[in-house]
Amino acid sequence: MTDSTPSSLSLGSATTEKRSGWHEDFAAMLVGGFLILLSLGLTWYARPSTDAGDRTKYEKGWPNPLAQTIDKPQSWVSNPVDSLTNKKGKSVAIPVVLGMGWVVAVGAIGAYLMGRSLLQFLPGGILLAALSGLSYLLATEKLINDYNLEYPLWALMVGLILGNTVGEVTWLRPAMIGEYFIKTGLVVFGAEVLFSRLLELGLPGLLTAWIVTPIVLVSAYWFGVYVLKIPSKSLCMTISADMSVCGVSAAIATAGACKAKKEELSLAIGLSLFFTVVMMVLMPPLIKGLGMDVIVGGAWIGGTIDATGAVVAAGEALGKEGGEVAATVKMIQNSMIGLIAFAVAVYWAGWVEHSERKPEVSLGYEVWRRFPKFIIGFFLASVVCSLLFTQGAENSLWVDGATSGFTSRLRGWLFCVGFVCMGVQTNFRELAPMLTSGRPMVMYLVGQALNLILTLSMASLTFGWLFRK
Amino acid sequence: MIAASEKINRCLRLACAAVVVAAIWLVILPRMQAIPSVSEHMQRMTDREVNAGAMYYTELEHLPLRPDWVAERIALWPEWRMKSRASRLFEERER
Repeated sequence: MTDSTPSSLSLGSATTEKRSGWHEDFAAMLVGGFLILLSLGLTWYARPSTDAGDRTKYEKGWPNPLAQTIDKPQSWVSNPVDSLTNKKGKSVAIPVVLGMGWVVAVGAIGAYLMGRSLLQFLPGGILLAALSGLSYLLATEKLINDYNLEYPLWALMVGLILGNTVGEVTWLRPAMIGEYFIKTGLVVFGAEVLFSRLLELGLPGLLTAWIVTPIVLVSAYWFGVYVLKIPSKSLCMTISADMSVCGVSAAIATAGACKAKKEELSLAIGLSLFFTVVMMVLMPPLIKGLGMDVIVGGAWIGGTIDATGAVVAAGEALGKEGGEVAATVKMIQNSMIGLIAFAVAVYWAGWVEHSERKPEVSLGYEVWRRFPKFIIGFFLASVVCSLLFTQGAENSLWVDGATSGFTSRLRGWLFCVGFVCMGVQTNFRELAPMLTSGRPMVMYLVGQALNLILTLSMASLTFGWLFRK
Repeated sequence: MIAASEKINRCLRLACAAVVVAAIWLVILPRMQAIPSVSEHMQRMTDREVNAGAMYYTELEHLPLRPDWVAERIALWPEWRMKSRASRLFEERER
């Protein structure tokens, strides 16, 4: 578990010196796993004594005591101070500050496990947490939020501004463990990826999500690597995943699985968010203009627009029914992230990097050696929480309470701080040749066009005809 | 060691960037909210309680659970529906 294994994710890797501590994959698994158990444990401890299985009473799960200790800035219109008050008029200033405290605490534990000095970590860790708060503040401005320009974009921007103006400050360097923050965020995220949600829309939903998505993922990757001849396979895979599955969250998980560089993840996220806004604005009037059935239109939106929030926003423009179908189809796609990230990690470790394998070493050993271990934590968290979720109504509310009350919010903070670190260390000059060639954009456009055609065909077939009553 | 002038330059660049960001978020974006199509979209998001900035479904205001009307209009599992479609196609062909 020492730092001798090759880094499984290039995101935000701070230094290359040998340390005596754990590899960040193991630290992320331990800390992430502990945080999930803590949330589950405290939610169980505070479980309601009556109507514990009543979804109408506890729509987002049982109350979680940890929810009081973490929140993010709320939507604001013109005065940023309004971000510290929620819709009910209650101040969230303390939970927001405590949210930054969680970032520092998780980072400090990780730094300690990885053999870094706690004293050296703390000043930089506090600054990074404050910058994450600033990024969240920028992301929750109402116009930005309502057009789905998600917080990773602004966290990257804040990091880029810092890195390209004052540079990487010396005392900030010991806290630059972006890779660890993102991996821990992914392990914690695993608890939200529930396979059980796959059946929410029966067979039509499964067909739309499980047939089209993998076809588009593989086709777009193949097109990027073999037709456009984009030199970086990991860039192709990250773009394919964010375009075919569910945007930024899929990009982060897949980038971890295929060891993408931080610049590649930044590019994939930028492309995804740009086209998400375009599609969110254009698809509803197009669907209305074509006189398309609302359910088919909702399923089309749910299967094609990358980001979950944008899907709901676009779906709602079709009306209540369209919005509900769109959101549910997207949720089914969301549930695929765990499996896709795991499959990509196995494929990458066993086949993409196989050329470097020594002939006397078995494939199984080589796959294990190269496998990004934190993906096991992510996948395991997903499987365990999915199984727990299926064990009756009370358990499903238990899992929902543990995730929506704490792990989901913590994951947001961890991703946010990870992206700030990435921004500080991102060297866009590395991507300049690729950007000027325009090939990643061509790949995205062709892949998305295929996605639009196949999803519309499948949605029309299943929701519009075959399963229509 | 970084020269003092270089330090000042870097701080100035950071201050300039901060001013640009503040101008965009505090002046330009609030003005853009007055554009009719933008304000209409934002109002719809507010009225329908949509968190359009959600990265994952757990961040939505309401979990997207299957609404009751879906089962009334869509056959979720095929048993009878597939048969009826197939038999209908067969009947049409026979005719």
